[in-house]
Parts: sequence; structure tokens; C-alpha cells
Amino acid sequence: MNTTYERQNPAFYALIAALVLMSIAPIYLMLSTSFRLNVDIMSETSSLLFFPTMQNYETVLCNVLWYDPGHIDYCDPTFGRALGSSLLVALISTGITLVVGCMAAYALVRFRFMGRGTVSMTTLIMRMVPPAVLLVPVFGIWTFQYQLDGTYAGIILVYVAMNLPFVIWILQSFIVQVPIQLEEAARMDGANALQVFFLVVLPVIKPGLAAASIFTFRIAWNEFLIANALLDRNTRTVPVTIVNSLTEYDIDWGVIMATGMLLAIPPIIFTFVASKQIITGMTAGAVKG
Amino acid sequence: MPRIRFDSVKKSYGSVEVLPPFDLQFEDGEFTVLVGPSGCGKSTILRMLAGLEDLTEGEIWFDNTPISKLDPKDRDIAMVFQDYALYPHMNIAKNMSFALRLQKTPKATIDEKVNRVAQMLGIDHLLARKPGELSGGQRQRVAMGRALVRDASTFLFDEPLSNLDAKLRGKMRNELAEMRNTLDKNMVYVTHDQVEAMTLGDRIVVVADGLIQQEGTAEQLFTSPANKFVAGFIGSPTMNFLTAELTEAGGVLKAKGDGFLLDLPTTLKKGAESASGRQVTIGIRPSAFKVASDAPAAGSRIELFVKLSEYLGAQSVLVTMCGAEEVLIEMTSSVRVEEGSTVAFSVLPEDIMVFDESTEVRL
Repeated sequence: MNTTYERQNPAFYALIAALVLMSIAPIYLMLSTSFRLNVDIMSETSSLLFFPTMQNYETVLCNVLWYDPGHIDYCDPTFGRALGSSLLVALISTGITLVVGCMAAYALVRFRFMGRGTVSMTTLIMRMVPPAVLLVPVFGIWTFQYQLDGTYAGIILVYVAMNLPFVIWILQSFIVQVPIQLEEAARMDGANALQVFFLVVLPVIKPGLAAASIFTFRIAWNEFLIANALLDRNTRTVPVTIVNSLTEYDIDWGVIMATGMLLAIPPIIFTFVASKQIITGMTAGAVKG
Repeated sequence: MPRIRFDSVKKSYGSVEVLPPFDLQFEDGEFTVLVGPSGCGKSTILRMLAGLEDLTEGEIWFDNTPISKLDPKDRDIAMVFQDYALYPHMNIAKNMSFALRLQKTPKATIDEKVNRVAQMLGIDHLLARKPGELSGGQRQRVAMGRALVRDASTFLFDEPLSNLDAKLRGKMRNELAEMRNTLDKNMVYVTHDQVEAMTLGDRIVVVADGLIQQEGTAEQLFTSPANKFVAGFIGSPTMNFLTAELTEAGGVLKAKGDGFLLDLPTTLKKGAESASGRQVTIGIRPSAFKVASDAPAAGSRIELFVKLSEYLGAQSVLVTMCGAEEVLIEMTSSVRVEEGSTVAFSVLPEDIMVFDESTEVRL
């Protein structure tokens, strides 16, 4: 059998190459800068050739390393602490969002109650409001009403509220696909409402939970605007810390880029782990057809 | 095993009444089949019994216990669903043992029960697989196994074979028939397939339009249907219906129609005789026709134009025309009948059923 390849326009390849370059180049720049000393970064003769060093990473992680890096006189714990804060805030807010979201989605799909359509619609409208609009009222209420500013609880609450609508909408579409006979079969087998939900519905919509968790985690991880307004120096997350380290006296590019690389790792790991759960045909074999 | 009794049970969805009040009883250890066309309400009856559907009025009794307010899990009922409804994330052993695990049965007991049922159904080599890796027939067995493991007093089957291909369905039907004999359980089986109903049911309940048309053994339904619907629904090929007018000649009641004048049985209900001149529907089973070899009695002779002959092996089905109405005739293939010819058939009076034209009740 003859396979004919369509001859593509060279401009097409040029376009692809340009796009690839545009997405790869910043990452390469960040990676290479993070392995350079400030001398190398700032030197006029900056080239592709340099002697890689782990010093920047040692500076960032100085308070969690098991050894004392020789080049540091004073260990600034800011970045290490920020990484910890980011992880804590992102993981906990993702967890809460998923737990609340899957239950809300299940109720919206399976139960008939007054105002069901309105509630379902309202969650979506919540999503349409830009975070910047929420910023001022949230800052005011959190600070003056409940003294939640600068606390993990405060920022986690905001992230849960921000992500919940989307998670509810994603999970609704997954729960709709769970055949009602599965739940009926479980009820016949003697499961109560909670057992039906936890033992049958949740495992079946695991791909949906994974997708929703990736989304939620990344938003919470990257969020800057509200974190910048609400958090104080002890609870700041990484994106806020990076921006705050750009001062008019000193910009340590090497350290900033190293932090950026470290910032990129957790979402990558999280996405890889979660996407293992996203498999096609989640209800394969459950019912006919 | 409890006796199940529906006591003037009614079901409506909003203002739409799908099942008017009805009574129904299932005897101890009986295999009852609810049969009817789709949408007739038979599945709703089953689901009310299972507890998946609320009753609008009335009560269901298990012996002397009212159960209509009980949760499905408290009714001691196991159910096999039409679409299998296997848990896709559990392997077969887990699927089958789900109910037992919920009851916190000791693990050894669970293993023993699952293995016994799996062996009985021939699925013991599949226990570690997931439902997605199984064929339709295997999934159906697992669905049954899941119900059997429970050891409940009553088994409900909601069209369990309708998703299988014809050959497999026949095989599973035979296995079910065997199972019925070995298990001393109440079984209620819903189907739209009258063959399944006839072969499996100790007792058959024919449902149509939310009304129970007739209940009885397969033979009772076949030989003495209560009305035109039951007569047409039970039996394959279906009964032929011809419109006719009752006439009386020489003390014998006859049915006069387009191209035939047939003697009617003498056992017609009282009242039919007086109705001379009345319009009726007569029903004749396809198997009741015989090719008239020698000149039959005038009152049992009918001439039909053979339009088509369908050869099915030992049997053939003739599609014939009686005036404008189509008549199916089933006969052994050894008798050759020419397509496109007009042939004389004989029909005995006792093989003719007479139905009231408007009420469709059998006379």
C-alpha cells in the first residue's frame, strides 16, 4: 500500500517552530538563569556557556537543607516558608473544594428540591465575576469583620469559594453519566444513601475528581492577586514572595529563577499523579450500551 | 418464603395515573412472570415491590408485614437489572460480595458463598476481572450471581435477558428454568417476551395499559384467554383476528365474514346466542388451520389466497389473505402449498374464539 504524504508549506513548519520557541524559551531562560551566579547573569558577555551551580537553590532552600551551604552568611527563610505556605494552602483548599463540590454536584444532579435550577445557575454566575472585583470587599470583610487577614484559613476560604463553582459544574457532568441503575443496585444490595455515594458514585467519577483537582490545585497554586492583599509575611505564598523580592535595591535574579523552577515542580507532580486517574470509559461494563 | 400481596396498590406520577388500583398475589415459592408490551406498567410494579418506587396508595404485604414504607435493604429482596448495573470499579468477586460486605459478614463466609455461586453459574474463573472485560452473557451471569449470593427470600428480575442475542438468550432461559427448580425462592420476573413468560413462569400475569388483563398458567392463557389482548399477546405466531357477523342457522351459531361462513363452538358464553346479527371479532390460532384434503364439513371450510410461504425448517408460515385481512397459518413443511394459489383450509369450531367487538372480552 502506498502512503502519500501531503507536502506541507515550509511556512507551516516555520510557524510551528516559532510557537515551540515561544513556549520553550522562557522556561529555558529561567532554568539556565537559576543555575548561574549573579556575576554570570549580569555580565556583559553573558553566553550559553557558563559554569552551572546549585548555589541559588541552596539559598532558596537554606532552612530546609540538611547541611549548611558554605556560601550563605545569613539564611533567609522567606522562600522556603513560602513554598510550604503555597503547598499547604493549595492542598487544603483543593481537598475542601473537592469534598464540598462533589457532594453539592451530586445533590444538584440527583435530588429534586426547590430552587435547584437557580442554585445551579448561580454557581456559574459566581464564576463570571473577575477576582479583582472581589478583591476589595473580600479584603475589607476578611480584615475588619472576621480578622482573617494573614491567616491560612482566610485565604483557603477564598480559594474554596473561587473554585467551588467550577468544580461543581465539572462534577455535575460526570455524575449525570453515572447510570442510575448502579445506585439502585447498590440500594438493593443494602447500601444507605452515604454508602451509595462513597462506595459507588465517588469511585466511578474518579476521573472527574482528578480533573477537577488538577484545575483547583493549579488555580490555588498560581493565584497572586488575593494572596497579595490578604497574606502577611508569615503566610505569603510563592507567587507573592517572588514579586515582593523585586526591590529597588536588590534583585537576585538567580534566586528568583530558582524559586520559579521550584514553583513549577509541585503542579507538575500533582498533574502527573492525578492524570493517572483520568482514564477513558469510566463506566465501562456497568450497564449495557 | 413470604407470600407477597399487593392490596389495592395505585401509582400515579403527578396527575397521570399509570397504574389504577389493583390487587395481585404471589404464592410461596412461585415463579411469577409479569409480561406485557413496553410501557404497560409491569416494571413499575416490580420497582414498587423492590422499594425503588413509592406507592401512591395501597399497601404491599409480605405475609402479615406491610413493607411499602421500608427501605429496599430491609425488604429481603435481591434484584437483577436489565442493564446488569455492575459496579465498574470493582472486580467480579467484589461485585458479588458487595451486599455481604455491607452486612459485615465474616470474610470466610463471603468467600465460601461467592465461590459456591460462581461455580454454579460457571463464572469462577472470572472473579478477578472487572466488568468491562466481560462479554454480555458473562455480565448477565455476574448480575445474577450478585443477587444469588445474597440468599434473599425473593428475587426480582427486570427483563434480565433482553440485552442478549437470541442464541444466548435461549441458553440463559434454560439455565434460569433449571435454577427455578433448584432454588426454593419467590421469583418475580418481568419481560416483554411472551416466549420467556411461557417457558419460565409457574404463573403468568399479563399487564397492558396499567391493567392486569389475566393471570394464570401458560396453558390457561393460551387455551382460554380472557380477552383479545391476551389472545393476541400469548402465542407465536400471533393469533389471527377477523371481523365477522354472528348468524344463526339450524340451531348452530355461525360467524359470517368476508369470504367465510364458519361454525362456532357450542360452548360460547350465554348471551352470545341472542346476539345474532351482532358484529364480533373471531380469533383463530395459526396452528389451527389444516389443509383440507378431502371435502370438509361446510361449516369448517375457509378458502384463503396464499400470498407468501415462509420456510422455517420443520414448520412453514403461510401468509394468506382473507378478503383484505392477512391471516397467518403455521403448518408442517411436508405439506407443499403453492404461492399465489387459493387453497381450502379447515378449521374446527372449537379452535375459534369469539371476542366482543367493542369490549374485546372473550364470549
